[in-house]
Amino acid sequence: MIVLEYILLIGLIVCAIAAPLCKRLLAAVIVYMAFSLMMAVLWSLLQSPDLAITEAAVGAGVTSILFFLTLKKVHALKGTHDE
Amino acid sequence: MSKKIDETSGWLQRFAAWVDGDREPPDRTLLVMERRPHRDFRPTEEEFERREKDRLRKFFNWYPIAATVICVVMAAILLTTVMNMPGFGDEDNPINNEVSERYLEHGAEETGSENVVTAMIIGYRGFDTLGESCVLFLAVAAVMILLLRDEKNTTGRELHQLEREEAGAREHADLILQQVAKVLTPFIFLFAIYVLLNGETSPGGGFSGGTILGAGVILFSAAFGVQRTQRFMNRRTYSVVRTFGLMLYAVLYGIYIFIGANGLPNHLAGMILLIDLAVGLVVACTMYGFYALFSRGEI
Repeated sequence: MIVLEYILLIGLIVCAIAAPLCKRLLAAVIVYMAFSLMMAVLWSLLQSPDLAITEAAVGAGVTSILFFLTLKKVHALKGTHDE
Repeated sequence: MSKKIDETSGWLQRFAAWVDGDREPPDRTLLVMERRPHRDFRPTEEEFERREKDRLRKFFNWYPIAATVICVVMAAILLTTVMNMPGFGDEDNPINNEVSERYLEHGAEETGSENVVTAMIIGYRGFDTLGESCVLFLAVAAVMILLLRDEKNTTGRELHQLEREEAGAREHADLILQQVAKVLTPFIFLFAIYVLLNGETSPGGGFSGGTILGAGVILFSAAFGVQRTQRFMNRRTYSVVRTFGLMLYAVLYGIYIFIGANGLPNHLAGMILLIDLAVGLVVACTMYGFYALFSRGEI
């Protein structure tokens, strides 16, 4: 378990550094989503399952959806026809 | 818009005109200033471009340095704070005082909730949670003010474009998304209701269950389009559910404070369940409302 925790912590740091360095905004949002997901697993390893559920639903789910919608509104998604 | 406001009209009318955005009667002195011809001080195109480029280059030279310095300083401050904090889970940490002891020992009998976190969020600190629900309610209201479409802030062209996009989405529906949603949505709803109603005994409760419920509705709406979502969630239902959740919480917690307070016999073991349900409704409506307003500007 402790090894898994260390792996997740290293992943958190990597994600936190990678998110602002991404050139594409979509990639930044996805990295942020991964950060949230790892944070959720870490919460449940730290024995706070309440927080883990909320983090998984809000951080990885709804926040990212709102970010995607915003990117679509400002036409920052690659592959849409009006870029 | 062009109606004249003379000095003699009442202050109420003038205030209303100001709110509506009507212009004040033009100021004479300003008029004189406007009439004066501009001094001919326009730089030529090349010079303008050169100056702009210069400014941009300066900005891009300094921006990464400034950002790095700010990040490093913030990280150093936070890390030193964490270093000076007492160890994680130590016995003599300041959080291990009589308050948490009380919550852990008497929480179950005083609030009727096995799960101490729920007992704290909904029972002991229910007033906080009421404030948080109000914040969520107001957040949706603010987003509605900014983004809701009506005939005043939408042109025909925008409506036409929106319709075209929707028709395109209906014709070229994403098969993978639809099939996955068909399988997953019932389970997401089931899990949401389980988390929502089981907050007393297991991890979960109003906030997490409500978020999962909202995420389920968002998935349904994204996969099957607006029309099929509006069969069970149109604007009227939406506002009724949202307001009902908040009102239910306020009423229940009022009763809870006055009847179930400390020192009185506690007959309100089932109250946590109902309050969880109210919070869940508010949170789910908030999540779905954000999605709907951001994506189409209507619910």
